[in-house]
Amino acid sequence: MSDGQEDQSPMIPSRRTVLALGAAAASTVVTIRPAFAQTAGSVMNCTIPIPASGMGGKMIAADGSVVPYGTPGAFPPLSRPLTGEEAKKLLQGGQAPAGIDYESAQAYANYIRRLQPGVGGYSCYASLQNRV
Amino acid sequence: MLLDGLTVLYHRPSGMTHILVTPAPQILAALDDRPADSDELLRRIGERFEIESEDAAEAVAARLAELEAAGLVRRA
Repeated sequence: MSDGQEDQSPMIPSRRTVLALGAAAASTVVTIRPAFAQTAGSVMNCTIPIPASGMGGKMIAADGSVVPYGTPGAFPPLSRPLTGEEAKKLLQGGQAPAGIDYESAQAYANYIRRLQPGVGGYSCYASLQNRV
Repeated sequence: MLLDGLTVLYHRPSGMTHILVTPAPQILAALDDRPADSDELLRRIGERFEIESEDAAEAVAARLAELEAAGLVRRA
């Protein structure tokens, strides 16, 4: 119950933090790439199987995840691995390798982007990062 | 990871490490996995911060281009 006394707490102004967006020419991101002892020729000659060996009978979903065979909307595994050059062109500009339609190629690109260390093709993909 | 005013991001699939300074981390946070163009991004940032810039639209566009080049954002 109020006893008639007013709240004597001091009022303080609220201020939002100022965020400077910086000049257009400024740089706010520095990227450190891992060092891989590979020549340009060997990078382009490396391959990425889709999916990696050991995942037989699987298909590739549109988001790049590996799904059971017969999953609706999924794409079949590639009959041959992609070369580093093909993967680079696919990842850079969405250019589908010969004989592969655009939708399938996007699924395969998303698969590549999901590759983890220890999975077949990861070293090739990681090496491409130095040249993408 | 925050490191004395810097934000460090490690992208495990590629093995790349990105070091970001303001406002790059704030822009990534404003995107928060919800696609947005420059105008919408400015609106979201403005909800949390007092924006200081001579040309906010140009600055945000430049920051987004930087983040895209680094592979930290991509066009929807």
